[in-house]
Amino acid sequence: MNRQFSKKMRLVRYSFSEFKLGRQAEMGWDKRLLACSTCLIPEKTRISRTNTLAMYKKLALAIAFSPRMEALIAEARKLISVFEGELVLIHVGTKTPELEAQLDEILSRHCGDLQRIKTIWKEGKPAKTILKTCEEEKVDLLVLGALKKEGLLTYYVGSVARKVIRKATCSVLTLIEPKLETTHFSKVVINGTELDITPRVIARGLKFCQAEKSTQVHILNEIKMYGFQMATAAEGTETEVANTRRKLVQEEINYVQGILDGLEPTDLKINIKVTAGKWAIELVRFCESIESDLLIMGVEQGFSFIDRIFPHDIEDVLIELPCNLLIVK
Amino acid sequence: MEKLTHNEVVMLLLQLATMLVLARVFAEIARKFKQPAVVGEIMAGILIGPTILGTFFPEGFEFLFRSYPMSNIALAGYSQVAVVLLLFIAGLEVDLKLVFSQGKKALNISFYGLVIPFAFGFTAPFFFAEFFGFSEGDKLLFSLFMGTAMAISALPVIVRTLMDLNLFKSRMGMMIVSAAMVDDIIGWMIFSVILSFMGKEAGGIGIGYTILLTVGFTAFMVTVGKSLINRVLPWINKSLAWPGGIISLSLAACFFAAAFTEFIGLHAIFGAFIIGIAIGDSEHMTERAKEIIHQFVNNIFAPVFFVAIGLKVNFIANFDPLLVLVVILVAYAGKVIGCGFGALQGKLDKYEALAIGFGMNARGAMEIILGLIALENGLITEKLFVALVVMALVTSMTSGPLMRWAMNKRKEGLE
Repeated sequence: MNRQFSKKMRLVRYSFSEFKLGRQAEMGWDKRLLACSTCLIPEKTRISRTNTLAMYKKLALAIAFSPRMEALIAEARKLISVFEGELVLIHVGTKTPELEAQLDEILSRHCGDLQRIKTIWKEGKPAKTILKTCEEEKVDLLVLGALKKEGLLTYYVGSVARKVIRKATCSVLTLIEPKLETTHFSKVVINGTELDITPRVIARGLKFCQAEKSTQVHILNEIKMYGFQMATAAEGTETEVANTRRKLVQEEINYVQGILDGLEPTDLKINIKVTAGKWAIELVRFCESIESDLLIMGVEQGFSFIDRIFPHDIEDVLIELPCNLLIVK
Repeated sequence: MEKLTHNEVVMLLLQLATMLVLARVFAEIARKFKQPAVVGEIMAGILIGPTILGTFFPEGFEFLFRSYPMSNIALAGYSQVAVVLLLFIAGLEVDLKLVFSQGKKALNISFYGLVIPFAFGFTAPFFFAEFFGFSEGDKLLFSLFMGTAMAISALPVIVRTLMDLNLFKSRMGMMIVSAAMVDDIIGWMIFSVILSFMGKEAGGIGIGYTILLTVGFTAFMVTVGKSLINRVLPWINKSLAWPGGIISLSLAACFFAAAFTEFIGLHAIFGAFIIGIAIGDSEHMTERAKEIIHQFVNNIFAPVFFVAIGLKVNFIANFDPLLVLVVILVAYAGKVIGCGFGALQGKLDKYEALAIGFGMNARGAMEIILGLIALENGLITEKLFVALVVMALVTSMTSGPLMRWAMNKRKEGLE
């Protein structure tokens, strides 16, 4: 461990909370939490503004002339003003004068002041066409609306959006409930599970949070095969077992902390949380329990036949969205 | 309902108490030498079994384990439950998502780590059957069993070693764990097929049919079974007592599955193993509950089962040094060459490949269970069983030190 790293480590506050025995331990999410550490890095060096804003220069919005289209456009407009980018609207379907007029009317209401705006009408298979257009236009962030289960308050990602999320080369933001008065992402959860893409997800996620001026940022990491590891460790004495438990938790905190140390300091208040269990499910439960506004995660590449039978963890999130979802690429 | 007499009850309780105490004492000694508990538990069995107690204090052995046959039957029932539970937790340990997220490199290791030891284990007994104590029956079945015995691995020993070496979370650690999981699943499936042929008239049940049953049951449990479990578990977690509800009902499910597979002609342990996988893979099966079930089985049932191993055979009278040596050599050669080759294929370096081979080499409890079932079904002799148990112990004991050596060598090479 280099000196700089250990110096920063001292500035980090940790608190451990052991599993509570009893049935409650399995009920509320907060009780499943193994540890939580609040990370306060005091140097409030502001990250250069252009650096953050340059993140998403070109935003695309897939529109389908649904009742929620206007709200989605309003949300996209807000993101444009946050990132100072340009907007591309993509509609897969036939271009008719009525639709055009309808769109123009909404655009004049929300994006009248916007100089750089482009509407693309294309026919073809929805997912393929959206993906192709995003590539042609060199889009940085694609915004989609989630679907809602009829009569229920749960949202999910439809098959078209799922394909887009998996295959898109740009980041994808799925909004569960776009509003005309727009959403502010103040409580954000970032997936800190040890994956190849995680350092990038955390770096990009924090930039997004800075631009959005989020008030709470939680980075969630999980201990793999916690039960099995602890059962194996139980061949030791009580102290040894407790030490192993602490070590397992600390390792996960260190992983996230290591990534944070490699980034430019921010003025965000970041919490590192450690859980046990399948990470996708834990992420969903945590988002629900704190009523977060946004979940940021990456997506692994490669979906083969096997992946359809044994779906990747991300499917657990897509099947029931706990909140808005930003997939970082 | 028949019941044990007063004296038989006393004897049964005495047996259990003796076995648990000695298992604990020897497990603690094993722990002092950084060895898995199972090593100590087998030693305890050898001490109070025919090998030592029976030879030097025959009266004591006769009194404890021969005077009341009914107590022994009850004890055998306890052991039977124990082995089912051991396979259930072995299944709980399997994390299918982890396996599929590891990708090609891990698949390479598990493929060669299964095929090469299997080939080694199959070929030697097939051509030198008499040497391995084969006398009558189906030579093919016997060789297939030996192949499986060489291919199986002991996940708990592997995980423990990786944790001690601080490698569990590393890429290599995850690869070893997932490769061992795949090998175990396939190993137990093959063994299940072999078992259903044991002691049965030729042609009584077709091989195609047995394979179909095995694969079909597995496929059903990890798809339909798992989705059913996924629906029931949240309700159990929410509405029933915790952890009582989840523990008793998941064990009930384990016994149901074991009974079912035994009923359709596969072995009970196979059902327990597969339903263990299905339950363990459910995201609603919490890690805490898994930990409790592990503790419960590992400390109450497993010790008695492993001590009972020592009661079954005389380890000195049946110790054939040459056979033991050959079995150990075949075991090492198969796993180290197989896994090492698989690792090299996956572009890992020489010492990493060696470390993976040594890591995967640990056979531990699973080998002993496999051997015992084969012995009970008359497929192998006591001599071969002893050789297999010794091999299981030696591979488990050397796995950690050898892996540490390979990793140190690698570090030296990198510096």
